[in-house]
Amino acid sequence: MKRRIDTREIGCNPNEQLLTIGVESLTPLPDGKGIDNSPVVKLLTTEQRNHYECSLDGIVTLRLLKPTTKEEESKLVQSFLDGLRKLLSEKDNWTFLQPLLLSLDYCAKCQTCSGACPIYLASGRQEIYRPTYRSEVLRQIKEKYLDKKGKVLSKLTGNLIELNWTTIARLAELSYRCTLCRRCAQICPVGIDNGLITREIRKLFSQEMGIAPKELHESGTVKQLKVGASTGLTPKALKDIIQFMEEEIEEKTGKKIRIPLDREGADILLIHNSGEFISWPENPEAFAIIFEAAGLSWTLSSDLGGYEATNYGAWYDDVQLARITYKQVEVARKLGVKKIVIGECGHAHKALTVTADRLLTREFNIPRESCMPLLEDIVFNKRNRVHLRRNDFLVTLHDPCNMVRLMGIVEPQRRILREISSRFREMEPHGVDNYCCGGGSGFSIMNSMNFPDWKMRVAGRTKVIQILETFKEVLDRSIKKYVCTPCSNCKGQMRDLFDHYELQERYNIFYTGLAELIVNTMTNE
Amino acid sequence: MWLQIVMYISLTFIIVASFIKVRRIAGQPLHLRWELYPVAHEKGREYGGSYLEQLDWWTKPRRRSFFGMVKYIMREALWFEKCYRNNRRLWCFTFPFHIGLFLLLGWSFLLFVGAMAMIFGMTESTAWVMAINYLTLATGVAGFALSTIGSIGLLIRRSIDQNLKLYSSPTDYFNLIFILAIVLSGVCSWYFFDPGFAYAREFMKSLITFAPTATNPAMMIGILLLALFLVYMPFTHMMHGLTKYFTYHRVCWDDDPSLGDGNIQDKVVKLLNQPVTWSAPHIQHGKKWKEVVQGADE
Repeated sequence: MKRRIDTREIGCNPNEQLLTIGVESLTPLPDGKGIDNSPVVKLLTTEQRNHYECSLDGIVTLRLLKPTTKEEESKLVQSFLDGLRKLLSEKDNWTFLQPLLLSLDYCAKCQTCSGACPIYLASGRQEIYRPTYRSEVLRQIKEKYLDKKGKVLSKLTGNLIELNWTTIARLAELSYRCTLCRRCAQICPVGIDNGLITREIRKLFSQEMGIAPKELHESGTVKQLKVGASTGLTPKALKDIIQFMEEEIEEKTGKKIRIPLDREGADILLIHNSGEFISWPENPEAFAIIFEAAGLSWTLSSDLGGYEATNYGAWYDDVQLARITYKQVEVARKLGVKKIVIGECGHAHKALTVTADRLLTREFNIPRESCMPLLEDIVFNKRNRVHLRRNDFLVTLHDPCNMVRLMGIVEPQRRILREISSRFREMEPHGVDNYCCGGGSGFSIMNSMNFPDWKMRVAGRTKVIQILETFKEVLDRSIKKYVCTPCSNCKGQMRDLFDHYELQERYNIFYTGLAELIVNTMTNE
Repeated sequence: MWLQIVMYISLTFIIVASFIKVRRIAGQPLHLRWELYPVAHEKGREYGGSYLEQLDWWTKPRRRSFFGMVKYIMREALWFEKCYRNNRRLWCFTFPFHIGLFLLLGWSFLLFVGAMAMIFGMTESTAWVMAINYLTLATGVAGFALSTIGSIGLLIRRSIDQNLKLYSSPTDYFNLIFILAIVLSGVCSWYFFDPGFAYAREFMKSLITFAPTATNPAMMIGILLLALFLVYMPFTHMMHGLTKYFTYHRVCWDDDPSLGDGNIQDKVVKLLNQPVTWSAPHIQHGKKWKEVVQGADE
């Protein structure tokens, strides 16, 4: 029988692993194939286990080093408490104080949210992955150590949590076992947001203690602010890629297109996730083909901040989030464009359009919009220029959480797919009720040690099941199928999931962006 | 007369405490947008869409549906739809529990109307007064019955369902037992002493007229417990009925764009002039937000 892990256990038995996920707990795949019989996550080496904190579930994302002395531990505990105090103060955390306090103070602990969490469900309902578990830990620390309820009152209220290094380290790791998809918040009868609490925990660690996954911070936001892109893509390299893209477009379509770069006074600055240029150049190529055919006045930018839509700050750090936002908007100001259009990248949509809205003041508040309504406008209102032909390819749509549930951009991409394909089918559930791909909140780029195993086997499992269910009667290899994935990070996760579960080899299923599908239906008339 | 004084104090306390709570939450600084769809006031986009689905959305008029929002709120307030859809087993008890409490609120109001009628010298010979009294009886009985069933059910569920038990503190049980004790004393009063709620109406009248009145033992215990509960409640998560307004209207449905001018912008400008106080190495501690986000290359 599965052991239920109490919140108080988070600070106990530092040398024991709190949870080991057995393969038998995982939700079975609908195809029942045996690929999943290996251990869920690879065991770390003895050296890694001794060196890094891994006592939560044997997985390392943060590479935390264990303190060697009592003084060092006390200092860390104090720093955590300082951070928590700031998190709960108006002066220090104006950015999210109100939603945080509402969620911390009024949860009825009804556990309705648990049934909405794809990670909790896929893991076989492991207690520590329950949306309320980490929130409850934070709530109890707050009540016991900051609200100063005292030992007797704490006992009366059932609060037996102990704040020590083990609690802090496990809580830090645990904040990276949630994709911030906010499905839990969506179904909460009271409106409590455990996704937000998770993000605030990450923020506390980053902004106060300097603890964040290397992929998000050093190789993410810090690199983006210094080099121009979190992928390390420099302006010079971008120019080379653009030249390559122009050649490839000509080779594939016969069209000679000059991709506009740093064109001052254009109407639109189009910002892609820089990962597209490196891993899927066919996506920015498709945008270029569509925009040129539609006769739009647009440009890409090679300026620092102008060719990278990502903003990993959205997942862990308000200061980094704001810094990147300003860099991106500054480029648009310099070019004098009328608006910024964000390419197929979900979190960039959310960060730059919605979250940044209350960071950008006056002249910096340049209009920003999703590429989806623009593509829809082209498909439906400029068809005499882009010449589309309806095809009969089998396609379903993955809804990126940031773009759909968190921004309400639901229909434009569907209307396009219904228009260009006669065999579009929905996943269940879909739209604002969709399941995360398991790569959200930075997971798709986080590859520390054995974390990718967990990402594939647990975080992405529900999505794989959903895809297989969607195509269940047409899984035969002879039928080609597409999962339209209009988000770079989701695409990164899909790439790894497709590889891990061999979806292409076994079932002839492909993932692709939306712009590529549109271009594939364009004729040469 | 002391029972009336206790009631005045506790009623005053909860009104003042609620007011302070609302003011404190409402006074918290403007936060970054964090909406969650579906947003109930989006007109014609019940599937969960937003105004951001439109090309050049900032040039288009906002289409908001007050009716859509009211419909959504009513479904939640009167049917507990999210719980019904996603946690049916809990709904079986939380629905009667809450509806029972709403009915008891309505019952109190009807007692007030009946008491006012008495004060103005009207008796049950007046048709509407009789109607009110019968309605009071029906509402009260239904309210007591549903809230009793609901609180016992919730108490049992919290004790035996491992999903709830693990996260339930002694306070959670105490709260339910407290409410159960209040409604049970009401049930006892009605069953043994006050089948038509005449005592209750008399007590309501005495509260309005500041005059003493006779009570029965069960009713006295019930009123005392209720008075204590009203003082205790503002310190608990049970105020979620009130704070739900903020979680929805000020967080999940707060989709107002700032568009570079207006009230939101003024607030943002002010907030960006505050110092950043966080201590991690990549943060320029002590500088203003504006300086940190617009200037540094870190």
